[in-house]
Amino acid sequence: MDHEAQFAHRLRPYLNDGARVDARVAARLRAAREQALAAYRPERHDWVALPAGAGGRLGGLRTLWLRIVLPAVVLCAAFAATFAWQQQQRAAELEELDALLLTSDLPIDAYLDQGFAAWLKRRASQ
Amino acid sequence: MAQATRLAVALLAAAWLQLAPPAADAASPPKDRRWTELSAEQQKILAPLQQEWDALEPDQRRKWISMTKRYPKMTPRGQQRVQTRMEKWAKLTPEQRKQARENYRRISKVPPEKRGDLKQQWSEYQALPPQERQKLQSTTKPKSTTKR
Repeated sequence: MDHEAQFAHRLRPYLNDGARVDARVAARLRAAREQALAAYRPERHDWVALPAGAGGRLGGLRTLWLRIVLPAVVLCAAFAATFAWQQQQRAAELEELDALLLTSDLPIDAYLDQGFAAWLKRRASQ
Repeated sequence: MAQATRLAVALLAAAWLQLAPPAADAASPPKDRRWTELSAEQQKILAPLQQEWDALEPDQRRKWISMTKRYPKMTPRGQQRVQTRMEKWAKLTPEQRKQARENYRRISKVPPEKRGDLKQQWSEYQALPPQERQKLQSTTKPKSTTKR
């Protein structure tokens, strides 16, 4: 870019020398230049579609969206997925335990009796 | 920045996929159903609960529906036990069920060679003088802090 700028700087006097045109041509050139400038739009890279109505300071919002909102959404989704999975695991464990308990050799009353497990444990350690 | 976005989108997709397959899995919790919405097979298995089915907690109903999937794999004796215990189990309070599970775990931890025949042990325990059983029961307070 530096080399290009230097070249343009050196080229300018020669162009100025050859650009002596009459007033009518100069006016047409000026009008064309102004028209081109009016139509000029700086190039924008929209990597992520912004939420609807997010006009205004687009640069700041885009940074906010990319650096804070999106990672936060990803994190929340990951937490939700982990939580749902854990809940499912817990429910499956509980079901398994209930099935074992209901098909066990002992009646439900034996498991409801607070003293039986303690008594059994004490006997086993003797 | 573009890479960060793509990474974020990929992570979101991964998180979604993490959730999505179990939802379609057979192991996922079944839908809560009223008695009339159950299949004939499910109604046959859950017949002891017919009277109180619609009054049960939705979570409990889902568990019983899930149980019907295990039921055909149980031994005939296991199936018979489930049938006879189902009604009683459903009538217990959540706290009692929690306590029963806790005691099941405690009893299961005792090595089989040391605990012997459980039915025999239960009979012997029941034959103890009431005062002695009461003493044992009072020394083992229910754990109110357990999560299940």
